[in-house]
Parts: sequence; structure tokens; C-alpha cells
Amino acid sequence: MNRLEPLRSAIEEVLDKVDGVVALRNVSGHVAPHLFKDREELDELAVSPKYPLPGTLHLIQTAHPEAQLAIVCRGCEERGLIELAKRNQVNLDNVTIIGLACTAEEAEECRCAKPYPSVLVDSHVGERTEPVADRLAEGLRQKDVAERLEFWRKQFDRCIKCYGCRNACPQCFCPECTLEEGLWVDKGEVPPAYPTFHLIRAMHTAGKCVGCRECELACPANIPLTTLYAVIREEVKDLFGYEPGVDLEDRPPLVLTMEVES
Amino acid sequence: MPEPRIVAYACTYCSYPGADLAGISRIKYSPNVNIIRVLCSGRVSAELILRTLREGADGVLVLGCHYGDCHFINGNHRTAKRVAILERVLEYAGIEPERLRLEWVSASEGERFAQVVDEFTETIRQLPPMKQVLA
Repeated sequence: MNRLEPLRSAIEEVLDKVDGVVALRNVSGHVAPHLFKDREELDELAVSPKYPLPGTLHLIQTAHPEAQLAIVCRGCEERGLIELAKRNQVNLDNVTIIGLACTAEEAEECRCAKPYPSVLVDSHVGERTEPVADRLAEGLRQKDVAERLEFWRKQFDRCIKCYGCRNACPQCFCPECTLEEGLWVDKGEVPPAYPTFHLIRAMHTAGKCVGCRECELACPANIPLTTLYAVIREEVKDLFGYEPGVDLEDRPPLVLTMEVES
Repeated sequence: MPEPRIVAYACTYCSYPGADLAGISRIKYSPNVNIIRVLCSGRVSAELILRTLREGADGVLVLGCHYGDCHFINGNHRTAKRVAILERVLEYAGIEPERLRLEWVSASEGERFAQVVDEFTETIRQLPPMKQVLA
């Protein structure tokens, strides 16, 4: 099913009510995020490939806190927005969400647990497809500790420390990154030392990672990062009953203290 | 088999005086432990633990105040959550989660401190040296 035309009409509907719409634009084959302000620009509207638009929204809102914006949102981007809103990185009061469902192929490629938005929006462009189980994560569970170490050492040995995973991550918004400090991860060491670089990042995604797979798509070495983050997400759910991006009201466990019994 | 090297991060308000009491009371405990005093167990970040392991410590012991005793009211709550997750992260990344242990030791528990350290040393002794694991 072609999603471009329905998406275009959905954007046209809200375009007059907001200052701009954050979506993807295709300029002679190069797809990049763009703030659409005029109808004419919509000729260049693009649906795919996937790009982490919540991060773009965060940038625009930081510069223009009062702007009324709309954003095209896939299932993972909606989850990302929810987590960013909880951490005061985006203000959802000023944002109109235009939902977009992923195709079955996209869901399969991302091993996505929920390839459509449903929390912040009631409807979306495109048809809902079935969630996909993460077989790689299941495979990791079945390995024993020694096999896991061998597996990850082999994967992380390819790392060129380009910080692509961090830069693409919609949840990585810190102005200063602990991975660059030099205090925990030595500078100028490639591949970066195991386990510091990769596990510090993995720890920082705990309770935040929404499984959008942007890190993995960005990685030039094809390290299956989301496999590790997926099992961490399951462990966070198991330990604290918290799932990132599911509910606007749930508070993330790692920024909270335990409730005092009275 | 070389002797295991263990780093214990002890909070300055409960666990460090606890270790001190163990010394004053002449309680014998494993000499494998290197105690580092931190202002609160909540200060022991995942970064710190991971770097400690990376530098070749075979085990990391995080010692803090019992619930309700934290000088900073809830610093140890944060540690408890962080360590619980980090243990599982380590497990999936191929590092034995037994290498990391969180215990609550108060200033009056010198005996308990010695016991915790001895037990932990025995656990670590069963595991291969970290230097060999990360070689």
C-alpha cells in the first residue's frame, strides 16, 4: 500500500494550524529531516528510510520553545517521544502527532515489537502489521556466559568508535557525553576497550531504550547492538515492571528512588 | 592460580567505619580486598564498576548503608537499582555477574564486613582471572 499520498493529505490537514511539520524530505535521492512549512514543499515528502525524527524535534524545540509543531511519528518514534517528554526534552503540549504505521517488511527488518503508534494518536497512516519477535535476542539468551563473551568480543572488535550509535540515538540527549570524557574510556584507543565503552552505553540505555534500532542502522560495523539492548529492556521490565515508551505516566525506575513505606 | 584482586567501594558513613571496626576488633579477613572510600554508595556509577573490572579487578564489592540509614537519605536506593541492572548487563555481555556484589554493612557490623569479604573472595576464587577473561 502506498503511504505517501495518505501521509501527504494528513500533513496538509494540519499544516495550516501549526508553524511547521517535521518529516522527511527527498532531495534528488537524498532523504533528510525537514521542517515543512508550505504545501509546495510537500512534493518532496518522503516516507522511508527510517530516521530518528524525535531528536530533530528536540533540536527545533530547544531553539524555538514556543513553536507549534507537528511531527510524523512511527511506532518507535512515538515511544522515543514519550521517553523524551518524561525527561523534559520535548514539550508534547506544543506538538501534533501524525501517526505512521510501518510495513510488514520494515517491522521484520527492525524486529519491532510494536510497528505502529497507538499511545499519543488514535489513528495512523498505513495499516497495522503484526509485531515481530526478536530471534537474535532469544539466541543470546540460550548461550552460556563464555559463549556470550566470545560472541560480543568478536562483535565489538569491529567497533571503530565513530559514536554513530550514540549520535543516532533519540534518547542520547546529554550535552556532554561520559564516553568522550576520557575518564572512563581512554581516548584514542580503537577498537575501544571492552567492556567499558560498550557496556557504559548499554547501561545508559537501560530504562530508556525504546528499541527503535537507529543505533544498529547507523553502525558502519554492523554490530547487533539492539540484541543487547533488547535483553536489557526485558530485564528492566522484569526487575522494575517498567517498559520505556509505553505510558506517559510511568516514571523511569533509574531516575527514581524507592518509595518510602509509611 | 594467582590470588584474586578485589576492589571494595565502601561508603564513608557506614561501611568504611564498619571495615574500620573489623580492624580495631582484630577480626581477620581476606587480604585480597582493596578498600576504596567513597562518599556514598550512590556515587559508585556503572562507569566506575566497569572501569574497575577493565583495569583487571577480579571482583567489585559495593558496600553501602542499610535502607533508611543513608546519610543522603536515598543514595543507596539508586545503587541497589543500578547494581541489579548492571549484574544482568554483565551476564548478557559474557562477564560473570558474580564478580559484582552489593552488600549493606553498617558502622557497627565489623564482623559482617569480614564475613562478606571472605565469602566474596571465595566466590571470586572459583572464577578465572579478569585479565585472562579480557585478554
